[in-house]
Amino acid sequence: MRKIRLAAAILAALTLTAGAAACSGSSGSGSGSSNKGSTAGGVKHTGTVSLAWPATPDFIFPFAPATNTDGYNGNLTNELWPVLTYSGDGGQSIVNPQESLFSSITWAPDDKSFTMVLKSWKWSDGQPITSRDFTFVYNLLKYNWQNWVNYFQGGFPTDVTSVSAPNEHTVVVNLNQAYNPAYYVDTILNEVPLLPQHAWDKESASGAVGNYDETAAGAKAVYAFLQKQGGDMATFATNPLWKVVDGPYTLSQFQPNGTYTYTANPNYSGNKVYMTKVVNEFYTTDVAELDALRAGVLDTGSLPLNDLQQANLLKSEGYSITADDLNAFASVYVNFWNPQVGAVFNQLYIRQAMEDLINRPQIVSKIYSGDADPGNGPVPLNFGSLVSPLEKSGGPYPYSPSTAISLLKSHGWNVVPNGVTTCTSPGTGPADCGAGIKAGQQLSFVYAYPSGVESVNQMEAAIQSWEEQAGIKLTLKTAPFNSLIGTIGTCTQASHPASTCGWQLFNEGYQPYALYPTGNQNFNTNGTYNLGGYSNPEMDTLINDTDYGNNAATFLQYENYAAEQLPQLWLPDSDFINVYKSDIGGFLPGNPFSEAINPEDWYYSS
Amino acid sequence: MTAYLIRRVGQAILVVIGVMILTFILIHIEPGNVARSVLGFRATQARVSLFNSTYGLNKSLPAQFWSYVDEIAHGNLGDSLYYQQPVTTLMGERLPNDIVLVGLSTVLALLIAIPMGVYQAVKRGGVADNLLTGVSFTLYSMPTFFLALLLIGLFCVQTHIFLPTAPQVQNWTGLFADPRGIALPVITLALLSVAGYSRYMRSSVIDTLAQDYLKVARAKGLPQRLLLFRHVLRNSLLPIITLVGLSLPAVVSGAVISEDIFNFPGMGQLFFNAATQHDFPILLGSTLLVGVATVIGNLAADIAYGILDPRVRHVSH
Amino acid sequence: MSATETPPVAAAGGRPLPEAGEIATQGSGRLTLSAFARNWQARAGIVIVLVIVCFCFLGPFFYHTNQGVSGLNLNVKDLAPGGNHPIGTDDSGYDVLGRLMVSGQHSLELGFAVAILSTVVGTVYGAISGLAGGIVDGFMMRVLDTLLAIPTLVLLLVLVNIFTPNVLSLIGLIAVLSWLNIARLVRGEVLALRTREFVIAARMMGSSKNRMLWRHLLPNAFGVISVNATFSIADAILYMSALSFLGLAPPPPYTDWGAMMNNGLNDLFDGYWWLVYPPAVLLIITLMGFSLIGDAVRDSLDVRLRRR
Repeated sequence: MRKIRLAAAILAALTLTAGAAACSGSSGSGSGSSNKGSTAGGVKHTGTVSLAWPATPDFIFPFAPATNTDGYNGNLTNELWPVLTYSGDGGQSIVNPQESLFSSITWAPDDKSFTMVLKSWKWSDGQPITSRDFTFVYNLLKYNWQNWVNYFQGGFPTDVTSVSAPNEHTVVVNLNQAYNPAYYVDTILNEVPLLPQHAWDKESASGAVGNYDETAAGAKAVYAFLQKQGGDMATFATNPLWKVVDGPYTLSQFQPNGTYTYTANPNYSGNKVYMTKVVNEFYTTDVAELDALRAGVLDTGSLPLNDLQQANLLKSEGYSITADDLNAFASVYVNFWNPQVGAVFNQLYIRQAMEDLINRPQIVSKIYSGDADPGNGPVPLNFGSLVSPLEKSGGPYPYSPSTAISLLKSHGWNVVPNGVTTCTSPGTGPADCGAGIKAGQQLSFVYAYPSGVESVNQMEAAIQSWEEQAGIKLTLKTAPFNSLIGTIGTCTQASHPASTCGWQLFNEGYQPYALYPTGNQNFNTNGTYNLGGYSNPEMDTLINDTDYGNNAATFLQYENYAAEQLPQLWLPDSDFINVYKSDIGGFLPGNPFSEAINPEDWYYSS
Repeated sequence: MTAYLIRRVGQAILVVIGVMILTFILIHIEPGNVARSVLGFRATQARVSLFNSTYGLNKSLPAQFWSYVDEIAHGNLGDSLYYQQPVTTLMGERLPNDIVLVGLSTVLALLIAIPMGVYQAVKRGGVADNLLTGVSFTLYSMPTFFLALLLIGLFCVQTHIFLPTAPQVQNWTGLFADPRGIALPVITLALLSVAGYSRYMRSSVIDTLAQDYLKVARAKGLPQRLLLFRHVLRNSLLPIITLVGLSLPAVVSGAVISEDIFNFPGMGQLFFNAATQHDFPILLGSTLLVGVATVIGNLAADIAYGILDPRVRHVSH
Repeated sequence: MSATETPPVAAAGGRPLPEAGEIATQGSGRLTLSAFARNWQARAGIVIVLVIVCFCFLGPFFYHTNQGVSGLNLNVKDLAPGGNHPIGTDDSGYDVLGRLMVSGQHSLELGFAVAILSTVVGTVYGAISGLAGGIVDGFMMRVLDTLLAIPTLVLLLVLVNIFTPNVLSLIGLIAVLSWLNIARLVRGEVLALRTREFVIAARMMGSSKNRMLWRHLLPNAFGVISVNATFSIADAILYMSALSFLGLAPPPPYTDWGAMMNNGLNDLFDGYWWLVYPPAVLLIITLMGFSLIGDAVRDSLDVRLRRR
């Protein structure tokens, strides 16, 4: 079972993409040949493999409406219509040249425009992929971005001033400001697939194909038509629209809230596909999936727990196990605008004390059996040269209860280990509790997290126990994820309604990165994923510099600042553990951006 | 009897309406609104408002309820917010699966429990009786998930006799394609019910055996076996019928935990997911169905009692 | 319907009704005690329950462990039985033997509380309904049906969102679901007893309704009530374990047998047997004890049996 659900969904939306480009600041030479080395001898040219998913897709048109947040739609569509930039190649965090849709991207010296050359690939019906397909996408989104779930503030396409297509395979895009090319290619183009204009540019099922997308009214009509078709689950596998693909697979069978099956696209222009049939099964719980693995009826799956015992058992039943880093960070959201304790959280020393009390190394060694990123700051260690020395050496907050206690004491708190610490010196002086904190204020918080994953339960109980050493009392609150989010919303200075901002601490899971680990959306004011409403002008400036400038040192400066400022409390992020039948080749090295699920790379040896 | 039936049916309808109203209120009493649960916590206020107006959630509660009742009157249970499919379609796919599951397990349970109960009653107080009592109570005291996992461990992991997950089918006939997939869910549910049925069977047979008219029959020289089959069994089965009638709602409400563990595509799974996702069209539709089933089940049980004891029928209304 | 999917044994209106014309010579209460004491099931059941209760509530005085938040210690997690820990430690480093005791306290308290609460409420409701008869009875029974038909999960999820699930609210919730069956049973008994000759005789002699209720009906219905109360303890504990499985139980530091089992579930086949089987065995034995008692009470109440 993938980790906590919604997080996994967001991961899928952001990262299961197909594309490749050179990326500045990445590690390795990117020779790019992933795992096709040994296909020369003894490979079966057909094969069936089964996968497990914890949720099912409900939308097949790659641009889902703004109200549809089912993250598993990305899993469904990315094998059919890959995105321009494919993240991850041969286990490295670089753009994948084989599976991306363009052969080169060249930026203008002022970083305000780029020229993209598309590969000479074909659609499954034989028609060539051309720049017209890109302008089709741009036009559709230009007039309908409000109804696109993956649109983010200020991004594509609203940051584009003009697009031109000088020839069949070239696209020139002009932007309204200078961008860090790595950020744009890795993060923004990571969301954009190509769509078949020659088959989809129509306003009704029986209508003719035309250039409707070139007018506002036409683009809206086409988009509305495609979205309507896109939600009709009964016809996912039969609608002729969805048969026109440029990815490695087509959808041959689809059962709503059940199993769906891919068949290899014989006209795929990329690398040859050996797994010709992929059965995507649906398991509601970890336990059911695990039982299926143990009984040998599932070919690949993920291990819900980082549990050595289980791994050994499965190995003896013919499975191989891999533990791979995820390019993500895990954290505890802090609600800076909670009426009762927001003022307390606002004090940096309080957050520092809380972080000092989280024994991250022990979480890694005891709960995750060593298979986790240590969580020393916002950037996980597998980002290579983008990781600052501060983070590499353990981050600014190693486990130290004594530091936490003295921090609190020196700010006027009466520390009661295993009890509740209270403020005895209100005020704004250097030895006082801080602005907005009254005398007698308790360090007692409600800490919410989704139920259902055993290792998470263990971690939260441990954190509760560690915080108690300084009298910080955490009351745990757990419920199924979908119940929790009814009462947890984004809280900012401008808007923190009582119904959704009563939460205080919240651990959702992990937040994935694209190839470029920007703080944008996570820690900037009004960022989409900035749940707790952290707002700091200096942080905003630093993030801006990393996204729109092109200076490697700037990134490290931002990273250290974020690590120290604790906009969220850092936690270790566990690896994902994949289990696969040992006779499946090409599984390794796993792509961290797709949780190693790349059936187009697999094969059975003969 | 007819007047009684008509009265009860009338009351039944009132009960179902009461159930709908109560569930409707309960669903909306949850803090945080439905929109946010469906859209996720990063939804902007604009999206939330769009959602609310699309689904009529910004109308007053009575107005919403009224429009829902209106829909039902036209045979429309609405569309699921998550699956974007009609509730009736979703339920129609899964209900037959549960009928198969609960039906088969009840049959299996009865096949075991009835002979067991009779045997225990006849051999009352003996070693066999006490042993079987022990077995019954052990099964009764086991949490569902524990029994399910033990069986999976035994039959799927240690040996490979059965499959640990049910087939994911859209049509109930597909459940039988590989019987190894539904064997364990059926067996688990059956074993859990055996305890209840066999205890009732046992005490019912004991009571019947003590009846005066049986002594007379025996005095007349009727052989034991004939007694058992002709008189005892027939008369003792009534409480069992009552029990079966009362478990009718389980067919439509599904068995949440078993379905969870065995990945069985049933109503229980549908309902639990809808409950956590706040998918209220499904919740209301299922509640309606469960309400109707409960009422029918109770009615059947009461009628059986009425047959059993005419005095009860006379006294109550 | 219940999440445990067993038709609660006491749900279906209890045993067949006594024949008309039978007059209890002694009070039924007194008559049952002697039969009860002779019954091996009763003795076994009581012994089991007493042993378990002593283990859970008196055990910690003799075997001291820290089961609180501060007792968590990842350094000693998942130790096999032996040495300092006779039944090993769990995945948070708590001593399993000590944890079994504390968990048992919570499970038993929950069971008893639910049983008492639901019995009292259900008995009063059922008695009033049965005595009143007529339209009032009909109305009260329909309200009962309505409550029985509400999907349990809806109630549970509302609860989980309004309160952090704590023991008190869960006791209340499970009791709310349990009293319904007792009410139905008591009403049935009341209806039947109303027609008995001695009651009719008492009425003719001018006995008021309340006096009838307390002096005649309740002692006779006592059997049914106690059977049901006993089974509802078992059902409440089972129900609570189902809630743990569904992720709806109170979070740490709360623990009960169901929660312990649930925590160890994924390790069931791994060789960490001490995480799952001890609480499971204790749970099953305890519930068996209650079931035996309940069954024995039911057996010894049956008038016709005594005649044999």
